[in-house]
Amino acid sequence: MLNRTLGKLRSVLAAALVVTFAISAAISQAQANPSIAGKKVIFVPISMGISLTEGWVRRMKEHAAIYGYTLDIRDPAFNTQAMTELLAKAISEKPDVLVVHNPTVQLLSRQIKQAEAAGIKVLQINLQSNQQSSAFVGANWERIGREIAQDIVKSCGDGSGKSGKVAIIPGQLTAADSVMMNDAAFKVFKEHPEIKVVSNQASDWEPEKARQITATVLQQNPDLCAIFGHWDVHTMGAGAAVKDAGLQDKVLVYATGGGDNVTCKAVEDGVLDGVWSYDADGQGRDAATLIDLLLQGAKSEDGKMLSIESPMKIIKAGSDYSPSQCWKM
Amino acid sequence: MINPATIYRRGENRTNILGTVVLVATLLLIVLFAVKIDGFATLGNLRVIVSNSASLVILSCGMAVVIISRGLDLSLIAQMVAGAATFSILINAGLNGLTAFALTMSAMVLIGLLNALLIAYAEIPAMLATLASAMAITGFFRFAILRGEYLLLLDKSNPAVALLSSNLLPGISVPLLLMASILIVTWGLLHYSVPGRITYAMGDNFQAARLTGLPVRTTTLAVYVFAAFTAFIAGLVVSSASGTVDFRTVTNGSLLFDVILVVVLGGIPLRGGRGGVGNILVGVALIAVLRNGMTLLDFSTQIQDVLKGLVLITAIVADRFINPRDMETDTVGDL
Repeated sequence: MLNRTLGKLRSVLAAALVVTFAISAAISQAQANPSIAGKKVIFVPISMGISLTEGWVRRMKEHAAIYGYTLDIRDPAFNTQAMTELLAKAISEKPDVLVVHNPTVQLLSRQIKQAEAAGIKVLQINLQSNQQSSAFVGANWERIGREIAQDIVKSCGDGSGKSGKVAIIPGQLTAADSVMMNDAAFKVFKEHPEIKVVSNQASDWEPEKARQITATVLQQNPDLCAIFGHWDVHTMGAGAAVKDAGLQDKVLVYATGGGDNVTCKAVEDGVLDGVWSYDADGQGRDAATLIDLLLQGAKSEDGKMLSIESPMKIIKAGSDYSPSQCWKM
Repeated sequence: MINPATIYRRGENRTNILGTVVLVATLLLIVLFAVKIDGFATLGNLRVIVSNSASLVILSCGMAVVIISRGLDLSLIAQMVAGAATFSILINAGLNGLTAFALTMSAMVLIGLLNALLIAYAEIPAMLATLASAMAITGFFRFAILRGEYLLLLDKSNPAVALLSSNLLPGISVPLLLMASILIVTWGLLHYSVPGRITYAMGDNFQAARLTGLPVRTTTLAVYVFAAFTAFIAGLVVSSASGTVDFRTVTNGSLLFDVILVVVLGGIPLRGGRGGVGNILVGVALIAVLRNGMTLLDFSTQIQDVLKGLVLITAIVADRFINPRDMETDTVGDL
């Protein structure tokens, strides 16, 4: 009698166990797509050690951990030759997705083509090559260049009582972002002949070079109205030169960048007047999502690039300013 | 047959021909820019030229002393950035400026000694030893101290940083003062100190200096420690001005090029033994005027590099003709 009851209880328990197991398996299947676990992603940035790439990688790693795919970082540390070598090696390892960060529009285009031909999906992040690939995630440089130029026209153009003199400080003249921002900005300035670009010299992304260029330009044009720097980090050097010349109330210093807390501090200190931030933290999450989708086989219907444009945050001193506009590592 | 007359005729004045040529070229350039560019020939622009070249002058003093001793220090820029980084980390950690300076200075002396030990005692050619130490320093700092970061931001409101970029008297900033002091110290050391005179002897004929019983090894130690010291001071000037310590200054390499360019253009022969502070000033004058004029004319960075490269090639070729190698100067393993 007791034995039979125990036996029944055991079978009920066993059945319950089986059901629970089945349900939990179904739930975990819904949570993680097991088909992409164990896949391989390689990221070749221009360099680690800057908030931009560190911010992206933080989010990518989170997604890789959720889905169980691997993420390898190959850091060329601003050395373009090392970058092409690392990329060649990455292609030979046949990852499922390759993430590249193009220093110029030309440098990696052949390798991107080669990778796509070998069946590797290439995600280009923030800086585009002139070679199309599976996907792109990043800032709309044309829009940033145009909007900053329009803002400069408003503050320095007709009716402002200012000289209309503008200095542009690109990073490198052949870098994708500098090319596109300059194109867009010059298009705007062309319609406003009162705007005069007095200097357009690359800083090699270095704050000290930007500082020296600015000190020289300010000397010749003390009535300079605005500076448009193509990266917030080197533009801080230009801002320091403006401050040293005692002109921080007269010269507008605009830049664009990933918008981490260092940017907000520069705006608070009056080194920069405005930063068009493409929010590197948000970009990292967008990139990670796109990697997840590419691994699951996503592609656009017409075979063109999948593309996600990063939303802009405009960080300016004044009543709209809040330190929460910036992210922290 | 060696004609003793050719050796005898080699005087200091012959070496200075290049310096004179460069000086004349600089003056011509100044006239050209003054005519072509509005606002070039103004007192304000002169101030910008001088203050923009403060770090270059300081570094060139270190490099010049090393080259006069027939050495070469390719790790100068790496040392500069390492020194600035150490100093910034210490003051960011809350140390006062003086303590941070003293601690960093001792670290810099150590780096200089290490370079010199490799060269004077392990007898590794200076070019290779300092190239290796440049890589070691940069790698170590990026890996162990900055943890992969490239940039170190300095708080410009920190009293030590503010002092370094302030004006002592109207128009006379601390960087300018540092530049002037380093020039005077270099001049004094080279001309009036015993190690200074030995430095010339070493550069002129290293074997002879050694055989005469001069302390060439200890002097090499002094020379490289002095270079490390100038690198540190230049690092302070650069980082306090721009508010950042930037390790890409080392990897980009254009500053090291500028420093060597200044020394060679000024008329200090790469095989050493000749030259002084006057040569540094001549070299810096050309580079600073050229850089300022090209920036005002809005030349792109690439064109500026091309022009500077051409100037260096011209100077080196001129150096070859003006200071031909002969029995006295030709040695195995020379640059």
